[in-house]
Formats: sequence, C-alpha cells, structure tokens
Amino acid sequence: MSWLIAIPLLPALAFVLLAPLPRATRNALRWVPSVAMAGSLVGAIAAFATVLQSGAGEKPVYQASVVLATIGGKPLDVGIQLDAVAAIMLMVITVVGMCVQVYSLGYMHRDERVGWYFAVLSLFSAAMLALVVASDFLLLYMCWEVMGLCSYLLIGFWHEQETPRMASIKAFLTTRVGDVGFVIGLAIMYATVGSFGFEAVLHGFAWTPALATAVSLCLLFGAMGKSAQVPLHVWLPDAMAGPTPASALIHAATMVAAGVYLVARALPLFEVSQVALTVTLVVGTATALLGGLLACVQHDIKKVLAYSTISQLGYMFMALGTGSAVAGLFHLMTHAFFKSLLFLGAGVIIHAVETQDMREMGGLRKLMPWTTAAFTAGALALAGVFPFSGFWSKDEILVSLWNGGHYVVFALALFAAFLTAFYMTRLWFRVFGGPAQKADASEGHGDMIVPMVFLGAITLVVGFSSPYFATLLGEKGGWPDLAVALGSSAIAASGIVAGWWVFGKKAVDTEALKARFPQFYGIFANKFYFDRTYEFVFVESYRRLSDALWSFDAAVIDGAVNGFGRAWAAVAGGSWTFDARVIDGAVNGLGTGVRWIGARVRRLQVGRVQTYQRLVMAAVIVLVLWIALKGA
Amino acid sequence: MPYLLTTIVFLPLAAVVICAMLPKDLAGAAKWVAATFMAIDVVLVGWLVAAFDIKGGIQAVVDVPWVPQIAVRYHLGVDGISLSMLALSALLGLIAVVASWKVEKSAGTYFAMLMLLQVGMNGVFVALDLVLFYVFWELVLVPMYFLIAMWGGERRQYASLKFFLYTLAGSVFMLVGIIALYLTTGTFDVLQLAGPEASRAIAAVPGLAGWVFLAFFLGFAVKVPIWPLHTWLPDAHVEAPTAASVLLAGIMLKMGAYGFIRIALPVLPGAARASAPWIAALAVISIVYGAAVAFAQKDVKKLIAYSSVSHMGFVMLGIASGTAAGLDGAVAVMFSHGLVTGLLFLMVGMVYDRTHTRQIADLSGLSSKVPAIGGIFAFAAFASLGLPGLSGFVGEFLSLLGSWQSTLVPHWMTVVAAVGVLLAAAYMLWMVQRVILGEPSEAVSRIRDITPREVVYVLPLIVLIVVVGVYWGSLLRFVDPAVQGIVTILARVA
Repeated sequence: MSWLIAIPLLPALAFVLLAPLPRATRNALRWVPSVAMAGSLVGAIAAFATVLQSGAGEKPVYQASVVLATIGGKPLDVGIQLDAVAAIMLMVITVVGMCVQVYSLGYMHRDERVGWYFAVLSLFSAAMLALVVASDFLLLYMCWEVMGLCSYLLIGFWHEQETPRMASIKAFLTTRVGDVGFVIGLAIMYATVGSFGFEAVLHGFAWTPALATAVSLCLLFGAMGKSAQVPLHVWLPDAMAGPTPASALIHAATMVAAGVYLVARALPLFEVSQVALTVTLVVGTATALLGGLLACVQHDIKKVLAYSTISQLGYMFMALGTGSAVAGLFHLMTHAFFKSLLFLGAGVIIHAVETQDMREMGGLRKLMPWTTAAFTAGALALAGVFPFSGFWSKDEILVSLWNGGHYVVFALALFAAFLTAFYMTRLWFRVFGGPAQKADASEGHGDMIVPMVFLGAITLVVGFSSPYFATLLGEKGGWPDLAVALGSSAIAASGIVAGWWVFGKKAVDTEALKARFPQFYGIFANKFYFDRTYEFVFVESYRRLSDALWSFDAAVIDGAVNGFGRAWAAVAGGSWTFDARVIDGAVNGLGTGVRWIGARVRRLQVGRVQTYQRLVMAAVIVLVLWIALKGA
Repeated sequence: MPYLLTTIVFLPLAAVVICAMLPKDLAGAAKWVAATFMAIDVVLVGWLVAAFDIKGGIQAVVDVPWVPQIAVRYHLGVDGISLSMLALSALLGLIAVVASWKVEKSAGTYFAMLMLLQVGMNGVFVALDLVLFYVFWELVLVPMYFLIAMWGGERRQYASLKFFLYTLAGSVFMLVGIIALYLTTGTFDVLQLAGPEASRAIAAVPGLAGWVFLAFFLGFAVKVPIWPLHTWLPDAHVEAPTAASVLLAGIMLKMGAYGFIRIALPVLPGAARASAPWIAALAVISIVYGAAVAFAQKDVKKLIAYSSVSHMGFVMLGIASGTAAGLDGAVAVMFSHGLVTGLLFLMVGMVYDRTHTRQIADLSGLSSKVPAIGGIFAFAAFASLGLPGLSGFVGEFLSLLGSWQSTLVPHWMTVVAAVGVLLAAAYMLWMVQRVILGEPSEAVSRIRDITPREVVYVLPLIVLIVVVGVYWGSLLRFVDPAVQGIVTILARVA
C-alpha cells in the first residue's frame, strides 16, 4: 500500500517539473498535470477498492509515518493513512480534478500563461490529496496552507487587472484570520497531548470538556475561514474573479470543503465539548441562510453560484453540528459533483455570451442544448429534486437535524432549501429561459462538454449510494425517512414554483419591489454590510494604526535615539565643544531645515572618536570600581 | 582536525591581507580572491558538518591559553546551534561576494572589508571564551561601518554612524557583564560559567545575576534588535549596499539571539527564567509592531527591515519560552530568516540595479516583465510570511508551540504573536501586490530578466529554503540535541 503516497506525489511532481521552466516550454507541457492527475485517479480508484474490500469502517487500512524532526528528543511525526473517509475524498477530488483538467485544456488554451495555470492547479491537487490522506493535524494544516497559496495564485491569475488582484489578497488574508485560530488550536493540542496524530488526539487522550472546547473552537475557526462560513465568508464571492474552472475545483468542490472535512475528522473532539457542536450548528445555520438570501439578489452568474456554495457549506456545518459526520461528508461529496458541474456550465455560458451578467443572457436553452441539459441536472440536484444527488444528501441533513431535536434549526434549514430552489430557478429562467439576447452564442467544444455530461451522469446516480455511504463509514445506513423526503420535496417544489412565478411567468415586477422597499433592498445589495464593516473596522483602522506607529517610530523612538546621541555628544568632551560651536554656528547661520538635519548628523560624527573613548572609559571605570569594592 | 575551526574562522583573513595589498590596477582581482577563499571556507564548513557527530556535544574544540595572566583562553568549538549559524555565515558570505561582483569603487578595500567581516561573524559563533567572543563581536562592527559608510546610499554617513554607536553602546554593557562574571567566578570560559561551580559563585553574590543578565540583555537586544532598540536597523539596511544588507540581516542579527542562547541562558538560567515574561512581552511587541510599521513602508528595503524586527520577535519569543520546541523554533527562525531575508535583499538588489529605485510606488508588474525575478521574489515573500513547506514556517510554528507550552509565557502573548503571522501575510502580500503583480510600470518596462550569475547565487538559498521547510530534521537534527542541554540547565533552576 506504499503506493498511496504516489496519489498526492504525482501532481506535486508535475508542479515541480513545470514551475521552473520558461513560459513557452511550460505552456507546451501543459498536458503534464493532466497525465499526473490521471495517475492519481487510478490510484484513488485502487485505494477505494482496497477500502471496499476490507469493509473497514472507521479503522484505517493503511498507515505510514516519517519523523519530521525531533523536538526535545521526542519525535514529531507526520504521516498518511487510508480509511473510508480518505478513500471517498480521494475519489471526489480526483474525479472532479480530472474533469476540471480536461475542461481547462479547452477553456484556457488561448491564455498566454496557460502552463502556469496548470502548474498551480496541479500543486493544488497535490495539496488537497495529501490533506485527505494526512493522518495528523500538522500535515493537514501544512497542506491546508499550500492550498491557500494556490487559491491565492489562481484567484489572482489575471493579476494585471485590479479586481482579481484585490480578490486574491482578500481571500488569503481572510482565510488566514481563521488560520490564526487553527494554529492556536494546534499549539494547545501539542501542549496537552504532545502529538498531532488523529489517533492520539481523538481517541488516545482523555480530554477535559474545557480543553476540548478550546481546541475544537480554534479548529472550527480555522474551518470557518477555509469554508467561507459567516462571518469569514466575505472572500468567496470575490474569489470568483479567478478562471472559472479553477473556481469549480477550488472554490466549489474541494478546497472550500476542506473545513467541513477538518471538522468531520475532529468530530470526536467536538463531541466531548457540546459547546463546540452547538457553535458549529449555529454558524452553519447562519451561513446557510445568509448565503441563500444573498444568492437571490446576485446578477453575476458566478456570484449566485458562490453564495450558493457558501449556503451549502453552511448546510454541511449544520450536519456536523448535530454530530453527524456521515451526513456532512455525504453532502460534501454530492455537492462537489453538482457544484463543479454548475461552475463548468457557467464557464461555457460565459465563454459563449462573453458576460457574467445574467441580465444580458437569456434563451440559451435553444442555442446550447448540451450545456442546458447538464446545467439543469446540476441545478435540480442543488435544489434537492428527486432523484438527483442533492435530494439525498440534503435529506440526510434534515433527518439528522430532526432526530437531534433541533426543530427550530430544522425549520430554518427547510427555509434555506426553499431559497435554494428559488434562486436556482431564478438563475435558470434568466439564463436559459425567455428570448435569446445573443443570437450568436454557440455550444462549447467537446473537451468542455464531455466532463460536464460525465459530472451530470454522476449527479443523477450518486445519490442512490446513500445507505452504502453510511455503512462504508461504519455507521448504520438506510434509505431516507419518507415523511422528511416528502416534506423536503414539497419545499423544493414550492421554491421552484415561486421562482417560475416571479422569473418565468414574470407575475411580479421585481424592479417595482426594489423601488418600493429601497432600505430593504439596500441591506441585500450591501451584502448585509459585512464587507463595509470589515473595510472600516479592520482594514482602515489597521492602515491608520500602521501609519501612526510608523510616525511614532520615526518621531518618538528614533527621536529619542537621536536626542540621546546628541546629548551624549554634548557632554562628550571639552576639545569637541569648540569645533562644534564653529561648525554649528556656521551651519545655523545658513539656517535651512535640510542643512540643519545634516548638521545633526555631522555633530554625531564629530563626537565619534570621543564617544568611543568615553564608552570604553566608562567600562574601565566600572571595572576599577568593582575591583575596589571587591577588595574592600 | 584540530585546526579546522581556526582555519574556517581565519581563512578569510588571508583574503583580507591579499585584497588590501592588491595594487590599484589589479583591484579587479579582489573579487576572485575573496570568492576563492570563501569557497574554500564553505567547503571546510561542509566538511565540518559532514564529520559532525549529532549526539557528540561540543566538537572540533581548540582550547589553549591566550592571556594566561587573566585566564583568557583561545577556546573554540561548535555544537549543533553554532554549527548551523557558522554554516549560514559561510554560505551567505560566499553569496555576498558573488552578489558584489559588479562593485568597482575601491574594489580591493571593499572585498577586504567583506572578508574582515566574515572573520568576525565566523568567530562569534565558535568562540567559547567571553573575551574572544567580545573581540569577534566588536570586530564585526568596523568593517560593517565602512561598508555602509563608503559603499552605501545617500544617507550612509548618518546610518553607518548610528549603527556603529548604537551597537557599540550596547556591547559596552555586555563588556561590563563579562568583567563582572570574571571577577565573580575567575573564568571567561562559557562552558565553565554554565557549570555548577560558577553557578554557585554567581548565586553567592546577591542580585548579581540579575544585573549581569540585564547587561547582557542590553548588548544582545540592540543587535537582535528587540523593540524599542531597533531604529538603527531600518536606516542601516536601507543605506547599506546589497551584500552588506544580506549579511546584516542574515548573520549579524543572529549574533544577538545567539548570544542569548549561548551565554545568557546557560550562564544565568535563574535570571533568564525570571525575566522571561518581560522578554516575551517585548518579543510580542516586536512581532506586532514590526509588522504594523512594515505595512506602512514605501521603500521595499525598509519594509524588509521592519519585517526583520517582526521575525526576530519570534526568535525572542522562542528563547523566552525556555522550552525545547521554543528554542528549536528560535534557531530555526534564525536560520530561515538568514536564508529568506538574504534572498529578499538580493532580489531587491537585482531590481534596484536595474531600475535604480526601491520605491514601491515606482515599481509594478515585475512578474509580467521579468518573470524569473518576479517569481523568485514572490517565492521569497511567501517563505517570509511563513508558508508551510518553506523554511519560514518551521521556526515560527515551533516558537508558537513552545511559547504556549511554556509556563513562563502567558497564553495571551502567544495568541497575539499568532496574530503576527496574519500581519506578516498582510504586509508581504500588499508588497507583492504592488511590486510584483499588475502591469509593468515605467521603471520596470525596459529591464532584463535574471542573469546566470544571479541564478547561481540565489539558487542555493532557494534549495535550502525548500529542503528545511519540507524536512525539518535536516536542520533540527543538529539543533535539537544542543537545545536539550540548555533546556536541562533552565529546568534545574525551576
């Protein structure tokens, strides 16, 4: 099983090979990462088969570790493992990754930096694959950060433009706010357990509730940054400035789900601390609602999908908050497939109509039949319509909420489900419905269509794996509860009908509503004022603080140093006084400010030899005094 | 190999003599002389590293009387901590020479100064006698003063003098401390001073340990530099020529931190423990303050200078923690900061040579116009902001682990220090944003990309940054056994 390491290593090697090459060579070798990814895909299938054969449940079927360093004589290990969760994640990442690679070959081939794009995509895949096979929180964190770098590089891929440039820095810093929590969590873990290994931390240590709460909340904070949970969600909509296939892989299917993965892994620790579970539930609920509400008012097709991702990630956190890793991870999986599908579809659409604004689209169902079909499958899955995958996974989350007795949250989750169906219907009618606005829009190339159709097929069938998924993870699996399934289907249907009524039939004039309730609309248009508040409270004040400290440094601290230097020079010797007077007098006679500064410098210089002597003398005097005192 | 350390330390002195005596029309040969001697030096250090027994304590020892009347000895030796610093010093020394290839103004004197500096830097890290240590410590000042004052930028007179006086003032306190220790214990030997006999003698004089620690603290703190004794650093950095900046940040700042680890902690463990919370507080202020002020800078070099203040804060935090993780982290930050900041200064030097500006406002779009320079610059920036997988992360992370673990450092300080990691990303990325990304600016629009000579001197740094960052043990296997010894001494007085 030592081949497991090859799964993340292959894409890593592809990056190492491509990164140092000159641009033209790199562009020519842009297929290398796809080959590496194909290798990883084969490895992931083999890994999945191994896990299926062993029927392992929670226990890893393979583990290996190396000593990263010895600290205070104790080895600090990092390692990899293969268990059911890892195997499923490997499958998700490699399948979506492969689709995105193939799609990108078509989507990005005209870009002058296409080689760099594939290199970074490959590094990202390596980090994400290593993250899910990591057997300890340290390796997980290291991969986590490398993914952050790749996300930064891809968001800012077109860095000549202002928007991607600013979006990339915002993404990196916002997620790093969460990482501060993560790092502190790791520090507590290390000080308490003395290890980062999953086994040692999660099962091999008797945590007190207080410490477990502290560590869990720190990890949760890290996860909230990466998975764009309220209040650290602000970076994800902006991240849509990157190339669309990169958004599909990183900002929809995999990296943003890493936070969910982290919490799912650490769930035994969260369960020791009930507080952390409750916080997870609250954060998830708030995020699911906020994302859903804001998705309803976006005009940029990618931003609708981005807010939808935020909302769905919130859904996953809700599942985790009830203590159900299975429901969270199942939704992670189905979401990865259908959301990457939606993004890939959005990419084709954006290519065809050369805009991201849905108000300038419309009628594409006739011009782009394949894309319409695939996209619709994804949209139905997202809306939670039977038999598409989202139906099954959303259902499991609702069941886990109901069974956990979280009835209020259950109701809110239903509302979020309604919103999901509503905004996706809105999107569908805006993009595909109505008369065609751009008659020359045409279907995408085969290399872009094939991955979408493939993902669409997965979306259609993967939901039926629901009971087996749970069994594989070592829990009791079963078909969904009929009552909940009917209820959620009714909700989805009502959302679709409402969406059709407003945006298909146009029975409601949305512009008139906007005009009628401007304050209400303003709150939405300003994204609930999160960005504005952060800009004002953190960014602007930090900028001001930074400038103030810089002035303080120059005026007060350095002023004191210069003042001290001058004072010292002033007492530094008789012979010097005369020189200084002559020089000073002459300079002061000239009197300009610039020269005055020069004079200060010169004064110090004049005192140089004397100062040196004085300092040495001082030392000698102390020495003599000491001998004298000691002698006495 | 009894003469190995002596050879490593004084080999550059031979280069000093040759370079200084070169006739004017042969001054161009000085760089070859310096490069040859430094290359041999690096090979010898490599040999020392290869022959080093990781569990063997202090090695390659030379210990002969020097001034027998007052028990001053010529005592050299290396443990894992000194070895890593010595290796860094030799490597950066060689790189500094190659990076100075285009220096033509009084080239003979320039390379003589560079080599004289090397003697001092090498010596500091291997001296085990306080007088010897002090001699090397002060020896460093003189060539650095001239390097800045003669080959520096516009305000070089002010900067060089400030640097000289400031660090001199600090080291005078250290001298007082050294003398006090001698008068109390009758020895200048660092190892003996850390032993039980000397500890008893120091403890016998009430209050002595505290005062001596303070004296050493002032000497070392200026050099590190710890807030608020840092303002000489930005001036010196900005005005110094590239090679001097590299050595200043790469090696000289480490001398102060090394002094804490080699002398202050083992010799005065009680005082070190007692003052740990205060040192940690200053370290945390340095981290946050340095990062915040770096954010406001308009000159790239000054930004990097303030980032050094911030990074050295992590070194001091690790030292204050007194834990194995913290001290391992401190040395790892020292080593990594040498590589990373060295690389950053080299990149700024390359850009400055081509554009004649270091103003952030004048620079933009390096990665579009000169992708190799822009790419390596960005690489260095990410290493600096502590990206895992590169060397910068190792030390900062361990330093945070150690300080949380430590009973001497309050938890809230660790939390504030962890925020410093976020702030580091802020100033670095904001610099990357403006200098490396975007459309090429006027100043950047006509420059050419990296030359083979430049690749040669940045490549070893890049490789080491990755190696140490991926396999921490490559560095820590040397450092950790030595650190354990210090932790044991500190634990004894707990």
